[in-house]
Amino acid sequence: MSAPFDPTASDARELVRTALASGAAERATGAATTSDLSIDEELNLHAIGWESVELVTGYSMFSTPVGLWSWGQGEIVAAAQAHANAFRMAAARISDEAAAAGAHGVVGVHVERAVHPSYTEVSLIGTAVRPIGAGRVPATRVFASDLSARDFARLAASGWEPLGLAVGASFVYAPRRTMGAVLQQQSQNVELANYTEAIYSARELAMERMQRAAIDLKGTGVVEVKIVEGPMAFASHAVGFAMWGTVVRLAGSSHQNVEPTMVVSLDDAALAFDAATLE
Amino acid sequence: MSVADQSGDARSESFTSGLSVSDFAAVLAMGLEPVGLVQGFCAMQSSSYAVGSLQRNLSPYREARGYVENYQCPHGMVAGEHRMWGQNYEQYWVEETWNQGFASASARMLDEATRLGAVGVMGVVDTQSTLAGAGVTEFHFRGTAVRLAGTDSAPSTPWTTYLSGQRLLKAFEAGFAPVSIVTAVASVRVWAYCITEYLLGGGGISAWSQDASTVEIDQVVRAQSQARALVRASARAQLHGDVLQGVDLIATQHEYEHGDIEIQCLLRGNRARRVGDFVPLRAPDATVRLS
Amino acid sequence: MTDHANDLPEATEHRLEELEHGLFTSDLSVNEFLLVKEAGFHPVGLVMGSSIYHTGIQTRKWSQSQELTKLTEAMYNARELAMNRMEEEAAELGADGVVGVRLDVNYYEWGKDAAEFIAVGTAVKAEDGVSRRNKLGKPFTSDLSGQDFWTLSQTGYAPQGLVMGTCVYHIAHRGLGQTLGTTGQNVELPNFTQALYEARELAMTRMQDESARLGATGVVGVRLEEKSHQWGSHTIEFLALGTAVTKTGEPVTLAKPTTIISLDN
Repeated sequence: MSAPFDPTASDARELVRTALASGAAERATGAATTSDLSIDEELNLHAIGWESVELVTGYSMFSTPVGLWSWGQGEIVAAAQAHANAFRMAAARISDEAAAAGAHGVVGVHVERAVHPSYTEVSLIGTAVRPIGAGRVPATRVFASDLSARDFARLAASGWEPLGLAVGASFVYAPRRTMGAVLQQQSQNVELANYTEAIYSARELAMERMQRAAIDLKGTGVVEVKIVEGPMAFASHAVGFAMWGTVVRLAGSSHQNVEPTMVVSLDDAALAFDAATLE
Repeated sequence: MSVADQSGDARSESFTSGLSVSDFAAVLAMGLEPVGLVQGFCAMQSSSYAVGSLQRNLSPYREARGYVENYQCPHGMVAGEHRMWGQNYEQYWVEETWNQGFASASARMLDEATRLGAVGVMGVVDTQSTLAGAGVTEFHFRGTAVRLAGTDSAPSTPWTTYLSGQRLLKAFEAGFAPVSIVTAVASVRVWAYCITEYLLGGGGISAWSQDASTVEIDQVVRAQSQARALVRASARAQLHGDVLQGVDLIATQHEYEHGDIEIQCLLRGNRARRVGDFVPLRAPDATVRLS
Repeated sequence: MTDHANDLPEATEHRLEELEHGLFTSDLSVNEFLLVKEAGFHPVGLVMGSSIYHTGIQTRKWSQSQELTKLTEAMYNARELAMNRMEEEAAELGADGVVGVRLDVNYYEWGKDAAEFIAVGTAVKAEDGVSRRNKLGKPFTSDLSGQDFWTLSQTGYAPQGLVMGTCVYHIAHRGLGQTLGTTGQNVELPNFTQALYEARELAMTRMQDESARLGATGVVGVRLEEKSHQWGSHTIEFLALGTAVTKTGEPVTLAKPTTIISLDN
């Protein structure tokens, strides 16, 4: 870097001019890295002493038995199994790729999952990261997290570390109401206790599985839990619940407070009038 | 306005740009000035539809090029509809079509920029539209050409970047100079053999045996993983030691008919050259916005 | 409210047990998590309550604007049940409150006229060990985000509970003669104005009554939602929601805010 590049130059014009000049004059010397992080995220990562290494992926697809989604009772066990297995394999593959690239973790993992009538697929894409210049660690110690690099940096600055993704899912058949009950309830406002119970327990199962995964990773918490739920597009009498989040634990001895200050933004709020809520 | 008209105007006071006001302000702060909106097109005939169906009549042992993987039926029982062999193969002809489309369209955009005397093109946007049925894919790049304020001549090929405005300024401040946009594509076709076909259709395990273990569909997983690896290798080959930032990787899967799957991975990002060290950020101030 | 409230499903009990052993789950963002910590609380778990309710029919008079009391009751009870179950879970965890509560309504194809009411939030516990439960000895609930929760704590106020009021109203159809008479004219439709006004008032008043029962000094972040659910356009539910707050003895630490212009796109 012979060109007089001074990133601390107060004049942005000078900075850009010299950067462009040395960019055009020199050949690259460092190791090529790839990353799907924005420049802001790269800076955030660097601020806590980490760097991006490589864009990594993990994919898995599991077959589910035919006839699985037709009418039945209770939980659809094989569907939950396929979901759990696909996630486990995809996560293992992304960690393997990251470990092979010499990284310690993967941040900003983009989670795509799809449940089809006869198979379930999970695709993970993220950027492998490590403390600047750090050596290799085995794949089993490489974490994958769907937190953005910014959030990862913020958590790290507060003394927390991510351990991996925890996922829980369950699929159930909606209970059938007997004809008598239908007629009886037609004009009543009542709680449908059996429905409530079925849906409730299914959701609980998914949550419980996610928690179990978190405990297995020796975490003390799961943050930014995403919940996807609702009837399956191809089988409306079946309801699916899936939730996932990043498992964390305190890395240091105690939580570091962030001590925020209040600010008033002078930006114009980009508010649209919503006719439905009159807000 | 044609390219020729635009270059005639290059030294006049007016310019066109696709920049927002805040991006425009950032451009000025960087000591650059917009000289015009530049773009490039290229329409390519894509032959994937025809070739895809042809492949089935070929031997699995045809000349290998790119990624090819064969799957042999273990059953040895022969029935007309039983798929004795299956194959994952890289559709290099599709990749070639796309790469040529990207290259021609971006070269034309650069050509316009060069004629305007630009040092670079920022805020690049690319779109690909497929006229299905006709088998034609159109590639389009556009961006805002800029030059150093007060300078007339550009020394070399303009750099290109998807970044614009403040984000580009931040990249400069972080010690990077833009080199070029990078696009890469990978196309892998899966022709399922009997076991994959069977599993894609819901296996044979009864839904009623509740402890039925589910099975991973190895052939498709291999194809998906290979497509992702191929597209990244292709992007990496364009880096020559530079870094690739802000990558966007999109994987799509299309099942033409049962057991005939096409996987496409499209990657775009900014190739940048490190010209200075990262300057550590000042510890950020945590704020809560009152609204 | 009802006897349903105390029997949480078995899976729940097991899940909550794990949470009591130190694991927490939360759908708060990282920023919200840090701010909840900043306000002196620790998340203890994602809690939820759900109730699937069959909302039957109620005879509506074509030409009369009126409240549909049975439907109002159904909508209120269903939400109350979901909320109570959520509070129940929070209480089981020894939480002082629940923040970031979302109230959702799901419709399933298989249940005609059946809707699922869900309340989801993150249970929190004060780190200093002093109970912050409300006047009724229950964990407080609040739909405030982590950001708002922290800001509120800086003002010397504490949330007491998520309060709501609802009113399902049928708005009269206009007679054919009236419609013809006003076609092409820009006129106020007094029966519409009157009906909408009354329905909103009812919902707001009921919300305020709830807040009074909690001994709150005020309600912040009031939202007024209007939903037609699946009843057709002339039957509307007006739902008023807000967080009831009381003044605490704690010192006000509100600093003068800094003004900024963000350069983000």
